[in-house]
Amino acid sequence: MESQDWINSVLNSTNGHQKAVPRKDLFMQIQARVADYEPISTKILWLAAASLLLLIGLNFRTLWHSQHPTKSAVVQVMAADVNKSNQLYSHE
Amino acid sequence: MNASEQDFQNLYHQYHILVYNLALHYLQNIEEAEEITQDVFVQIYHSLEQFEQKSSLKTWIYRITLNKCHDLIKHKNSRKRWFIFGTKSQSETDYLNHSNFEHPGILLENQEQAKILYATINTLPDNQKTAFVLSKIEGLSNPEIAEVMNLSISAIESLIFRAKASLQQKLSEKFTEYRKKK
Repeated sequence: MESQDWINSVLNSTNGHQKAVPRKDLFMQIQARVADYEPISTKILWLAAASLLLLIGLNFRTLWHSQHPTKSAVVQVMAADVNKSNQLYSHE
Repeated sequence: MNASEQDFQNLYHQYHILVYNLALHYLQNIEEAEEITQDVFVQIYHSLEQFEQKSSLKTWIYRITLNKCHDLIKHKNSRKRWFIFGTKSQSETDYLNHSNFEHPGILLENQEQAKILYATINTLPDNQKTAFVLSKIEGLSNPEIAEVMNLSISAIESLIFRAKASLQQKLSEKFTEYRKKK
């Protein structure tokens, strides 16, 4: 009984409490923080994202080309052949 | 002062006591509650245009405040883990278990009991603590708490029930210690 009374007194200790009020200059501090903060425009964010994507794309392209050298070699041979005669098929 | 600044000032005057008191009950530290109040209103200022009015403004502000409080507790716990060489604490709220906080709005004769209550609330799991603080201390109804916590009303009822049962048990253990001291 005594135990339950004590528990109830603890549980009800916040009953009827007054609301606390923050410092009066808090709003001025918030205004100062808001003024200091310059949000990054969405244009700049999109530009940065596009640049990043382009960079990643170029990296992949370079990697892919470095792993497929034979294709470029074939193209070079063909180009040399075309340059020699200026014709795709030789006339005999 | 332009219109939006005037709106923001009105919003601050309408909700600053709500934000400050919730943070105070949750963190039990005056400086941290002021810090949270600042953070909340800076966020409100920047994201008010994106507020979609799916919930009420009050609910939205409650959510921002609770999220900021959780972030601060997490940050404090991670700092504590660093100090004790990386051993992980049992819950997010371990850091605050030994509350010695005296709420400025609580009657003087209830201060000792309130200290015990805050210390015991801090041992509850986070969702039980949130539901209990919003219900018992902030005086919100269960549907309002359900909206703030994004849960069903029955889930809130269950959380509050479990919180109360857990507090009863923990306080009865504390009572024996209290009796020994007397």
